[in-house]
Amino acid sequence: MKPAAFGYLTPRTREEAIEVLSRYAGDAKVLAGGQSLVPLLNFRLTSFRYLVDINRIPDLDYIRSEQGYLAIGALARHRSVEQSAEAARECPLLPEALQFVGHPVIRQRGTVCGSIAHADPSAELPALLTALGGSVVLEGSSGRRVADAEEYFLGYLMTAQQPDELLVEARFPKLPNGSGFAFEELARRHGDFAIVGVACAALPDGSVRLGVCGANSVPFRPLKAETAAAQGDLQEAGRLAAADSDPDSDLHATAEYRRAMVSKLVERAVRHALERKEGNARG
Amino acid sequence: MPEAIGVAQRRLEGGDKVSGRTAYVADVRVPNALHAELVSSPYAHARVVSIDRTAAEAMPGVVAVLTADEIGSLGLLAKGEVFYAGQPVAVVVADDRRLAADAAQVVRVRYERLPAVVDPVAALREDAPAVLPAELRSQRADAGAHGADAAQHAASQRANVCGEAHFARGDVEQGLRLADVVVEARYRIPALYQGYLEPHGTVAVPEGDRLTVYTTTQGQFAVREEVCQATGLPEHRVKVVGMQVGGGFGAKFVKLEPLCAALALRLRQPVRLVLSRSGDFLTSRPGNFAEIGVRLGARRDGTLTALAADLLLDAGAQEDGTVGIAAMLIGSTYRVPHLLVDGYEVLTHKTPSGAYRAPGAPQAYYALESAMDELARKLGQDPFELRLRSACQQGDPRANGAPWPRIGLVETLEAARNHPFWRERSRQADEGYGVAAGGWPGGTEPAAAACRINGDGSITVQVGSVDITGTNTVFAQMAAQVFGVRADAVAVSAADTDAAPYSGSSGGSKITFTVGNAVLQAAQDARQQVLEMAAQELEASASDLDMAEGRVFVRGAPSRAVSVADLARSTTAFGGSAAPLVGRGRVAIKRASPGFAVHVARVRVDRRTGEVQPIGYLAVQDVGRALNPMAVAGQIRGGVSQSLGRALGEAMRWGDSGQLLTGSFLDYAVPRAADVPPIEVELVEVPAEEGPFGAKGVGEPPAVPGAAAIANAVADATGVRVRDLPLRPETVLAALAGETS
Ligand SMILES: Cc1cc2nc3c(=O)[nH]c(=O)nc-3n(C[C@H](O)[C@H](O)[C@H](O)COP(=O)(O)OP(=O)(O)OC[C@H]3O[C@@H](n4cnc5c(N)ncnc54)[C@H](O)[C@@H]3O)c2cc1C
Repeated sequence: MKPAAFGYLTPRTREEAIEVLSRYAGDAKVLAGGQSLVPLLNFRLTSFRYLVDINRIPDLDYIRSEQGYLAIGALARHRSVEQSAEAARECPLLPEALQFVGHPVIRQRGTVCGSIAHADPSAELPALLTALGGSVVLEGSSGRRVADAEEYFLGYLMTAQQPDELLVEARFPKLPNGSGFAFEELARRHGDFAIVGVACAALPDGSVRLGVCGANSVPFRPLKAETAAAQGDLQEAGRLAAADSDPDSDLHATAEYRRAMVSKLVERAVRHALERKEGNARG
Repeated sequence: MPEAIGVAQRRLEGGDKVSGRTAYVADVRVPNALHAELVSSPYAHARVVSIDRTAAEAMPGVVAVLTADEIGSLGLLAKGEVFYAGQPVAVVVADDRRLAADAAQVVRVRYERLPAVVDPVAALREDAPAVLPAELRSQRADAGAHGADAAQHAASQRANVCGEAHFARGDVEQGLRLADVVVEARYRIPALYQGYLEPHGTVAVPEGDRLTVYTTTQGQFAVREEVCQATGLPEHRVKVVGMQVGGGFGAKFVKLEPLCAALALRLRQPVRLVLSRSGDFLTSRPGNFAEIGVRLGARRDGTLTALAADLLLDAGAQEDGTVGIAAMLIGSTYRVPHLLVDGYEVLTHKTPSGAYRAPGAPQAYYALESAMDELARKLGQDPFELRLRSACQQGDPRANGAPWPRIGLVETLEAARNHPFWRERSRQADEGYGVAAGGWPGGTEPAAAACRINGDGSITVQVGSVDITGTNTVFAQMAAQVFGVRADAVAVSAADTDAAPYSGSSGGSKITFTVGNAVLQAAQDARQQVLEMAAQELEASASDLDMAEGRVFVRGAPSRAVSVADLARSTTAFGGSAAPLVGRGRVAIKRASPGFAVHVARVRVDRRTGEVQPIGYLAVQDVGRALNPMAVAGQIRGGVSQSLGRALGEAMRWGDSGQLLTGSFLDYAVPRAADVPPIEVELVEVPAEEGPFGAKGVGEPPAVPGAAAIANAVADATGVRVRDLPLRPETVLAALAGETS
């Protein structure tokens, strides 16, 4: 189908973008890679008076190694992050998770920040950001702020971002040397949105971090499961993560199945991450 | 001269397709074309109380908003009452496509909702309300009412039974008593969307007292016939241009054309109606849901004693005829002394079912071949042994008693059994192999073709069939074989219905078999004309002449020769003395040529998640003669891929009140390249007596056995049988849990 008509705005600076976003607050929507927004418009599931295309704004397409985190600019595409040497070095779980995001053609246009801003509870990157305790940088008419992942994701396609705010950067904490990590996913087919996905990092200090997608209205960190995982009780970690999840039934999987899969995938992800950590320690 | 048939030949149109040069119907640009958009009912069953068009009509650029009250139903529009969710109730015509979509959203339709009959089992019940009013029901066409008894007559009287088929032989209860082992099971296979890349679309252009219809169809003459019936125009005033088809698989016969034609005639302007993917899903004509119960009995040694099968097919909101094929096939594959097949097709308030590649056959063989596998397991027998003991051969009776012509089921089973994929099978933990057979009766229809020798000696073949599978390439190979030239020296012109000789629709695996025979005859006729001209020129008898590489020569004295080009030139020259060279082929083949396939799937099952991964696949098929082995293998790989979807993920699903839940490719999951394992293809050649060079239709059989092969492999891997398709991870996991708890 074709989308309903919309006005198309092409700001050349962040300030200009924020200015039009606040002028048309609620009626204007940021367009980044378009891989989530355009299908919604084409299906006429949503419509906006204005699309604010941010692709012409300079200095937003970057991947930078900062103190303690990897900074991903709003226009960095999935594909560039997937292939980036910094990402591979500083936060290898990120390129690993990106393998599960759609297909190469989609990753070629879609942005990491767009995926986070879209806040689909089945999406991989929000779960990863949550697992690692990352954050986002938002800029709006009332200034610049940093929001932690856990306060940013509010619900299904809902975030703490204000209508006049631009997500300018996502910050993924670096994995210290000697960490193990894994991303496990169950999807109908490779490249589909996850039925359930689990991000796991096993850190050198012995702690384990987990993020689950597809099992709640927001990506979540099963804290009790992390503790059990750190103690090496994988089955218990799976069980606890499942107990903490609150999935819905839909066309593709019932809530019970999703919950059962949280348990299996958490187990699998933790095992895999711990194995890699050991490999790293030896190697 | 190397042979032109039996060798791999790239599709003539392939280069254009892969490089994006092919024009499909959505690419047809006609000046002043209007754009039509359908307004669809959200309800499965409702009375249309009122349609308020004022807001839509007031939008600048909207030309008309029309309903069945003005233009009739045309096979699509609801008239007063809606019978499926997605059924169009009005059509908006505007001078811009997006505008038409905007306007369609503001057409206000008031409905009075009526109870919807969604579940086919419920629709069959005696007290079920009638899905369609009597005036929309046609005379029932029943397939073979053999041994119909009182109970069947009672069933036939039920409100929603719209088709049935009954076959009986011997006494099935007696046969089951004679059995040492009986398998009794019910199998369900969902309705399936054909998943073609190109949605339906039509452009109709009125020109004076004539009408031209550009459309994506498998059968342009069928379109012409229905457009003429709908508009009252005679067939010589309607030209249908069958465009390149972006996939049809049975879904593309006639759908939008009568409506689009009627709009164009009424508005006296070209009208373009191209569906979006969502629109295509809503009005799709999916392959039928089927529920099939089987009771299958055998002696300890595997000799079958009895087969009883009851079939229920869901026709959706329009009468359909698939149950006859399904019932026939299920009772015709193995020799069994006692047989009882009862098939019913019921109406429901869902989008009408249509044909999907071998309509009825994948359903029938999923049940039959799963039951055979269950039987083999119970008996502890090799799946090939069990099948070969009873596999039908020439002369064996089909379900209706008529003897099979020569068929290759046994040869195909043997070839699969002897293939290294099976003989050297090795099973890792949680892996399994599944075997299944399947077949398709084939089809016939009269066809004609012409073969012209151009002035330079090159050859043009003219046909009226729509090429959906590479048939034009095969026609070129056939003509090339007759003339002893390379296939690229032959052009195949598939013209529109004004210019082309008649051909049936490209469905039922019959184009190579029927049109191919006409092409062969036409080429032979043209060749004879050339030989006769050459005979005069060379002062020899035509029967002493031969032809190769563009030259005619005296057999045994190759220096006495004349070029075909020289001969041909004299037939196209001013003042020339010889009549143009035009060969003619006309055939009406009466006997179809059934084709069988045997598939072996290898899968791995993840016992923790229930995921089934196909990891290897063997497809063996009797093709009569592989005229173009590359194209045949392509057909087989495509059929296998579709079967994987059928087995593992695809299903059209509706909510309790009849809303389509799987209305896009987001929710309807067809397999993608990464989901398809390597497929080994093995061809068996049991020639068809009436096929060109012995060829049989090859399009449908490879789509038939796959679902059962996968299900049987899963049973082999896990020891657990899941009888309801698709085998989604959740379903498989539940079955595994059921086994252990
Ligand atoms: C076939 C297909 C398969 C896919 N599979 C997956 C998958 O498996 N997993 C997955 O996670 N995703 C998947 N996606 C979605 C893909 O990852 C998107 O790229 C991503 O979700 C959105 O990024 P985008 O740049 O395309 O954003 P857009 O589509 O342009 O925007 C998405 C939303 O985010 C907002 N937004 C975007 N950028 C900003 C910003 N800088 N500031 C403020 N708001 C912003 C937009 O306003 C909009 O609401 C798939 C997409 C397709 C088409």
